[in-house]
Amino acid sequence: MMDVGRHPNISLWTSSEVVNVEGKAGDFTVDVLRHARYVDVDECTACGACAEVCPIVVPSEFECELSERKAIYQPFPQAVPSAYVRDEVACLSKAKRPCGLCAKTCEKDCIDYDEKDVVEKINVGSVVVTTGFDFYDPEEASEYGFKRFKNVVTSLELERLLAAGGPTKGLLVSFVDGRPPKRVAFVQCVGSRSVKRGILYCSRICCMNAVKDALLIEELYPDAEQLIFNIDVRAFGKGFEAFFERSRGLPRVRYIRGKPSKVTEDPETEELTLHYEDGETGKIERTPVDMVVLSSALVPSRGTDELAEVLGIDVDTDGFLRSRDASAYPLETGREGVYLAGGATGPKDITDAVAEASGAAALAARHVLADRVEPVVEEIEPIDVSGEPRVGVFVCSCGINIAGVLDVRKLANYASALPDVVHAENVLFACAESTQRQIQDRITEHGLNRVVVAACTPRTHEPVFREACAGVGLNPYLVEMVNIRDQCSWVHHDVPGQATDKGRDLIRMAVARARLLRPLEQRELGVGHDVLIVGGGIAGIQNAIDLTKRGFTVHLVEASGELGGRVRDLASVYPSGMSGRALIEEKTAELRECGIDVRMGTTLKEVTGFVGNFDVTVATSTGGDGDEERLAIGSIVLAIGADVHDPAGDFGHGDVPNVVGNTDFEDVLGAEEPTFRGRPVEDVVYVQCVGSRGSRGNPECSRYCCQAAVRQAIQLREKGVNVVVLHRDVRVYSRGAEEMYRRARGMGVTFLRYDPDDPPVVERDGDRAKVLLHESHGYDVELPADVVVLSLGMVPRKAETSSLVNLLKVPVGSDGFLLERHPKFGPVETNTEGIFLCGCAQSPKDIGDTIAQASAVASKIGAILARDTIALEPVTSVVNDRMCRACGQCVEVCEFHALEVQELPDGRRAAVVNEALCKGCGTCAVACPNGAISIRHFTDEMIGTMIEAYLEPSQRHGSGTWPEGEGAEKG
Amino acid sequence: MPKKAERETERPPDAASPGKKARRKSVLWREIPEPKGAHAARVEEGGDGGFEPRIVAFACNWCSYPAADAAGISKLQYPPNARIIRVMCAGRIHPGFVLRALELGADGVLVSGCHFEDCHYLFGARRAAEQFEKTAEIVRMLGIGPERVRYEQISAAEAPKFAKVMHEFVEDVKKLGPSPLAGATGELEVPEAVSEETT
Repeated sequence: MMDVGRHPNISLWTSSEVVNVEGKAGDFTVDVLRHARYVDVDECTACGACAEVCPIVVPSEFECELSERKAIYQPFPQAVPSAYVRDEVACLSKAKRPCGLCAKTCEKDCIDYDEKDVVEKINVGSVVVTTGFDFYDPEEASEYGFKRFKNVVTSLELERLLAAGGPTKGLLVSFVDGRPPKRVAFVQCVGSRSVKRGILYCSRICCMNAVKDALLIEELYPDAEQLIFNIDVRAFGKGFEAFFERSRGLPRVRYIRGKPSKVTEDPETEELTLHYEDGETGKIERTPVDMVVLSSALVPSRGTDELAEVLGIDVDTDGFLRSRDASAYPLETGREGVYLAGGATGPKDITDAVAEASGAAALAARHVLADRVEPVVEEIEPIDVSGEPRVGVFVCSCGINIAGVLDVRKLANYASALPDVVHAENVLFACAESTQRQIQDRITEHGLNRVVVAACTPRTHEPVFREACAGVGLNPYLVEMVNIRDQCSWVHHDVPGQATDKGRDLIRMAVARARLLRPLEQRELGVGHDVLIVGGGIAGIQNAIDLTKRGFTVHLVEASGELGGRVRDLASVYPSGMSGRALIEEKTAELRECGIDVRMGTTLKEVTGFVGNFDVTVATSTGGDGDEERLAIGSIVLAIGADVHDPAGDFGHGDVPNVVGNTDFEDVLGAEEPTFRGRPVEDVVYVQCVGSRGSRGNPECSRYCCQAAVRQAIQLREKGVNVVVLHRDVRVYSRGAEEMYRRARGMGVTFLRYDPDDPPVVERDGDRAKVLLHESHGYDVELPADVVVLSLGMVPRKAETSSLVNLLKVPVGSDGFLLERHPKFGPVETNTEGIFLCGCAQSPKDIGDTIAQASAVASKIGAILARDTIALEPVTSVVNDRMCRACGQCVEVCEFHALEVQELPDGRRAAVVNEALCKGCGTCAVACPNGAISIRHFTDEMIGTMIEAYLEPSQRHGSGTWPEGEGAEKG
Repeated sequence: MPKKAERETERPPDAASPGKKARRKSVLWREIPEPKGAHAARVEEGGDGGFEPRIVAFACNWCSYPAADAAGISKLQYPPNARIIRVMCAGRIHPGFVLRALELGADGVLVSGCHFEDCHYLFGARRAAEQFEKTAEIVRMLGIGPERVRYEQISAAEAPKFAKVMHEFVEDVKKLGPSPLAGATGELEVPEAVSEETT
């Protein structure tokens, strides 16, 4: 969030809504209604004085109304922009006019009651809609007693109760007695998957949310018993299954099939009782519980209909925004230039929402390329800093935020006596524009070459002061901040004397460090603009299209002789029903229009170099010897897809001729009257999770197979075939998939659960087969089958993966799939800058999610390659090659592959830092046994001198006491 | 959300609030009672006017330092004994820094970084933990008392944890008393014993 707030190319408009859109892609005119905030966002320092005096108290929305806020407030502590907002409705709830206390209190005069809503017109190239979702109001599901019984909470409320920064500071308390609840029940699918509530779809995130909460509660309250009532546990994402299994293994966590019918409360004791049917035994049960957590459905955000109308796009039957096609064009709408991402199109977890957001950004960028504005660089004569340090210290009062606790005058006075300090003063607001100019004047006036600002946190304000200094030619890395507000005056309110002493020490430490600071230059490195995509499946094709449309040159290499990968073989793709081949043809036609260099039968041979500058050799085996070619590549995309599990020996595969893998069954499906081995097909049995969720194949859920089986079952049923699906959980989570599942059941497809510890057995029965099953309710079932279809899990492409690991040093996860940088924040990046991954190479995925990821990669690459150079982080490590003995320990610890032992021109060997890859974390400096590595801006000397200045004040660092006459008071 | 708020303001607040303190009538439909039972134990604030330990705290730029900022935004009060030194990554903390602080008489040293899975530098937090183990071992061997050094993982969202750690650590170090290496407690000048640094 802070990155968004600070980005020079992003204007952040809060409390705003889009009221009209005209024009077309590349040239939209948008009317934005900007609601009055009544607080000047740029001037507000978020000191909170206004909220302190505000007499009006209302429930806090952010805390789920578990605590209160004032009528002028900051929505939550990390809110961006970091400024207060006045809630006019609340403010005027008691009187016709504002009481005026907040405006009187505000030292910076930021509050203006007369501010009006305004409509602003802006011209944009594209529109991306990321309006998210709301929660179903569980009060409507009145049988569970939300709002009637205190200890019935929603999953979001539970989240606040468990949050360390929440209303209970992370304590899970019973609303009745304040003790931790001993028995907690989670009720899943409250609202979701329910015809009665009119919400037919699966909310997709609640199962994992309950699993996560259960693990968290177990950690905090190991004695608590937890019951999780579910219809199916849909743990379908990467790593989810392991997470689910971990919770299932806990002695006090129980998963119970079934949806409770109601919750009742003893009016005397306020104890809750949960009524339910145990899905395993079929018995009606009741159990006492202390707290009930309702996993409420995710529903479209309020205002989605109106927004859709303004934007001229469609909503679907559930009220979410409709994609052009959930599989083939998940991020596009019916209107060119308007794109969708995240919860606006349906429930979604963070990983998928992040990928979609990046993908939508890539599509949106298509229409704004022509308007890219190069930043104007003003040449300023740099100040020579080679002489003795001349330090200027500015101690900020921040109104009364600092000055109300710390004696700021005394601090400024103290600072003026520190070594090399030639100027020190106290300022009211260091961040005010006028003060910035004042600092610039002081730099010129006193010939300052180091600036120390004692104010708030460098995390928000270091850029401000760096910019001020750069404005007069002082290198921005010669600024040092002292945090005497967020980490001093605000947290030591009651001990002003000790707090002032702390401020004194911190200023002394900062001055000591400032004296050692060295100017750093932001250097740039040229980058090549060509992209190499490895793999010509749906992921690689989509990625190539998106990149070409942004103007990059793309080389697509495919090991086989044909594009389209696995999708090409699918008889039909849900929910549209389009055939896989048609989808691939549509996409490859688009690909051809782009004029991309596509190389069939081609693989990677050798890769050297780094981001922006890869040197890649590709080998094409056309007939004889095969051609090799070297390419200069800026970024590499790994879209190698996945294999399917080899079912040999599973469920009679190989022995019973009627057993086939689902990928081999697509042909049969296409026929008007399906036949198998010369016989008409009357009965088909599907066995799910073959090579998924177990020791064989993929330990995780393969994510595609339930939905694929349901789609195939419907196709067969339409042709009069009897279908039974044997499953462990039916994981139909995509848009339209739950509805498809409902339809299948309505058509007479039978779904039976099997126990993985007691799996079904397939036997030959003449020309047919029979499947013997101990059904989960305890019945023995014998199912006749013309065909037994095994839904095969997706497994990593072993040979390809290991060759890439060798060539590119990309890591592989415990499941064997390529490992992303971060499951939530970097789902399409690898640890190595310039190397990306998308689609099933990362983990199993359906088509829509794969396409979203492929577009996301295009966006990430665009961010690197859009310019001719990349800016290098100036804070990097530096190797002193005289001290280096080339042992390679630094190479071992560097996760970014930034260090390499090389031969120097004079023949010695030493570690060399690749500054394009170094992130400046400094772990290599710690690993180096010779002390040969130093980190710019955080050298050993700089850190050491701060320690010394604090603990050992001396001639060199200044006095550790207050000067005579100031009185060394103690708080 | 506002829809919900409207509904609630119509609803009379629960009559029987179990909260002990007499307080203003709440606008909430139910109130969180005073925590009871084992989990309610909280470290009481306030010094004893005696020994005030000097603590060096290293905090990483991406998690623990922002957590300390967030504690400020939430106005969570904690004892003012620590001086925070910001580094980009806790993995930057060489055992030498911790030992130098102890040598110069610090009564306690805290190293605080990210949770393993949150680390901005992927494995920096793990390296920090590994380094800290070594540091703690050396401190133990030197007989300084391993309780004087502490390693924590505090994410940017865990302001209360930061404040809690500060409370706990200051209390713990107070119990240990002044460091055996502390010649004097801060107010006296100590002769210089450091070589000039190279630049």
